[in-house]
Amino acid sequence: MKVLRITPQRCTGCMRCEIACSYEQSGVFQPAKSVIRISPFEAHTSYAPYTCTQCDEAWCMVACPVNAITISPVGAKIILNDLCVGCKLCTIACPYGTMFYDPDTAKATKCNLCGGAPACATACPTQAIEYVEAESADWLGSFAAERAETQLAQQA
Amino acid sequence: MARTRHVIVGGGTAGMNAISTIRRYDRGASEIILVADERPYSRMVLPYYLKGSISESHVFTAPPTRLRTLDVEPFIGRRAVGVDTQINTLMLDDGTELPYDNLLIATGSSAVRAPVAGADGSGVHSFWTLEQAQGVIRGITPGCSVVLVGAGFIAFTILNSILALNAQLTVVEIAPQILPRMIDATGADVVTRWLQERGVTVRTGVQLNAIEDADGRKRLRFRQGEDVMADQVIMATGIRTNLDWLEGSDITINRGIVVDAHMRSNVPNVYAAGDVAEGRDAVTGEAALHAIEPTAMEHGRIAGANMAGQSQTYRGSLLMNIVEVLGLEIASFGAWDDADAEVMSALRPERPAYRKLLWHDDRITGAMILGPARDIWATNDVGILKGLVQSGVSLRDWKSYLRGNLFDVKRAFIAAGATGRLLPQTVLGRPSVAAESVAVQ
Repeated sequence: MKVLRITPQRCTGCMRCEIACSYEQSGVFQPAKSVIRISPFEAHTSYAPYTCTQCDEAWCMVACPVNAITISPVGAKIILNDLCVGCKLCTIACPYGTMFYDPDTAKATKCNLCGGAPACATACPTQAIEYVEAESADWLGSFAAERAETQLAQQA
Repeated sequence: MARTRHVIVGGGTAGMNAISTIRRYDRGASEIILVADERPYSRMVLPYYLKGSISESHVFTAPPTRLRTLDVEPFIGRRAVGVDTQINTLMLDDGTELPYDNLLIATGSSAVRAPVAGADGSGVHSFWTLEQAQGVIRGITPGCSVVLVGAGFIAFTILNSILALNAQLTVVEIAPQILPRMIDATGADVVTRWLQERGVTVRTGVQLNAIEDADGRKRLRFRQGEDVMADQVIMATGIRTNLDWLEGSDITINRGIVVDAHMRSNVPNVYAAGDVAEGRDAVTGEAALHAIEPTAMEHGRIAGANMAGQSQTYRGSLLMNIVEVLGLEIASFGAWDDADAEVMSALRPERPAYRKLLWHDDRITGAMILGPARDIWATNDVGILKGLVQSGVSLRDWKSYLRGNLFDVKRAFIAAGATGRLLPQTVLGRPSVAAESVAVQ
């Protein structure tokens, strides 16, 4: 299936993905409502966009007590808003921190790959986020570990 | 050859997950019988039914059409009263005898009331079953006063609902703090203050002696301090596993049914799942009675896979809870109260926000997070903390940094490679499928 492939080396931290995501998902330009989030490294000189990998286990989906999470035709785990009661079990079941809760709607929210046309990938000006055929992977781990070294050394 | 016959006792989370997992593997090749004393529904969503934000029909998890799709023969409204494991037969309360090839015991728990005079009187409720929820809904009218006896997780799940019905609320708890099995004393202080500032009366360290009738109202007498008057009383004083019916059977019971890594009891074709099963705890590796929804779900899936002839080993479940009261989010994971752990904590009273991480060497084995819902969901560290405990990832490089920066866990999660460790993890050793895609062929 097509996934969001993240190349953190290309990310400039411009936040266009968060703005585009929040608008697509919630109709507002508000990064707090984005389900893709930029994490800063090296004192805000490098960045890593972080979002749901649509993992195999689908911890969110299997945890839902009312089957309000299913798999969409493009392979995204999606919330069925009519069924979600807002109990938040999915938010503690997901071990990636990519299952969100919107206090305004009182429902869970997550990356649904925008139905197959992810707004974050379209908005990214540097192709740090691409929607391509690939296996899900830990796109950020080694990048982040290298970038964190300097800062951690200074703290020590 | 006759079809293998699976008999499932209990239509809650564990039982229903076992059924859909068996069907995922065998697509209808076996016979499945469900014995359940109530129509299957989700307890987890009853607080939303109480609040009025969902209709009653929303709570049911296995309507007749769903059971037909899964080719399940239901015995709804029936209770199991005994099992003879020598002749592989389950006995029901109406005298029916059900022979089985595989039996799953998933009979869950029931609410218990503190043994005080008047606890069974009118206007005194439990909140556990759908029927009890209906009783509470009938009892609460706008402006009435409600006393919640017990300040544990179950009580807190309905706190918002009671207030949403415009009732006056008093919470009383015998322990010195609220949520004694979910958060520590510092966290409890933050939550108590939050509730008090929003008009909820909280009394801890008080023992209820009696509930008396007083001119159509209820008077609660305590060993310490003043009486409390109320219109309705809800007893959330604990739950007890439904295992009495197994008395005299050959099934080994400790605190719950003792099971192996395949959720099998000492009797090889008898499985147990959910609140009644002492499954493996993912952090301690020891047998534990979690009595929580996510554990029941995992138990049910593992039991179902093994009943369907797979050999699926259970890696263990993580103890976890989340509850929100009046906009304050409270969650804990794993061994959050481990006295042998190294502890890091940080309190920001002005938010208020509280974090606690519990360590063994360079791994986090327990965590607590508490703060206003808007803060919590803006950072979304809830899942991150779960992932740090679940993955057991080494945070060697980050430990000293985190000591002074407990609110910056996400970068540690990313840089420590937690995602890479978690991605291959699946409960059944293969990708999960959506519930509605499981059907007989």
